[in-house]
Amino acid sequence: MANTQTTVPLFVANQVLTAAQQNASAGTGVPVFATTVTRDAAFGGSNKALAEGQLCYIEASDVVQYYNGAAWATVGPATSGALVRVGGGTLSTSTTTFSNVFSSAYNTYLIQGNDITVSASATMRLSISGSAGATYNSNTINMTYSSATVTGDTYSGSSNFVIGTPQTTNTGFEMVLVSPFLSKATQAFNRMSTNTNSWQSWAVDTNAASSVSCTILMPGAQTFSSGTINIYGYANS
Amino acid sequence: MTRPDTRIIDGETVTDREMTETEHEQFLLAQNEAKAQAKAAADKVTAKQAVLNRLGITADEAALLLG
Repeated sequence: MANTQTTVPLFVANQVLTAAQQNASAGTGVPVFATTVTRDAAFGGSNKALAEGQLCYIEASDVVQYYNGAAWATVGPATSGALVRVGGGTLSTSTTTFSNVFSSAYNTYLIQGNDITVSASATMRLSISGSAGATYNSNTINMTYSSATVTGDTYSGSSNFVIGTPQTTNTGFEMVLVSPFLSKATQAFNRMSTNTNSWQSWAVDTNAASSVSCTILMPGAQTFSSGTINIYGYANS
Repeated sequence: MTRPDTRIIDGETVTDREMTETEHEQFLLAQNEAKAQAKAAADKVTAKQAVLNRLGITADEAALLLG
């Protein structure tokens, strides 16, 4: 039975529901399958013949698909795009590692943090898994909103990138990481804003080792009270 | 000695556990760095303020002069 419909029937009281009408109703719904294997097994034989326009939902990959008459195609959510979320979550008190977020799929990543609050003001940092030594160099500048004075610092030979100093009130930041997975130096371009000041930093990790994970940390007695991180990959082409 | 907890997020799986020895060493290294950097920054602010005090001007006034 093809999925093509010529009418959208309106049933009335006491009308006899035919098998054809019921099959059309059941066949044009969106069946849910565990995997593409169970999807393929569900059509043909004594079941409905697969036909163009068939929809389904695949639990394993969380996607909606349609059959175009020759093959299954994905409707959404998009598995590829200009900016694709690859990981993230809620910050723990002192350190949180986001595992397996960097891969060969993307060269450049956006790390975005929002609603970050800390127990007391201190400098938030980020490290990548391929480096465990003093190979990070950061330049930072910052200004308070109450003064035009620009201050800056250099952090040479550190064990992490310097992001900035969150406050006890809401802080947000975004950092672009270039080539953390590639066996090359990794560059970081970061900007952060709090209720009282703003930060920018530019940095490099000169270690050429490949990284698959990153850790956001608050080194010291100060801890994170809240904060959500989202990590996205930029499409390579 | 009890080491601090760390959170590992892998996809949808969130694990809170005690830091391993290696993770703790890295954390302490970062902690010591942060302390040294904070002290250097504080010393710089103190030295700058001492100069401003000797000149009898504020930081904004000094910025105006240098701008």
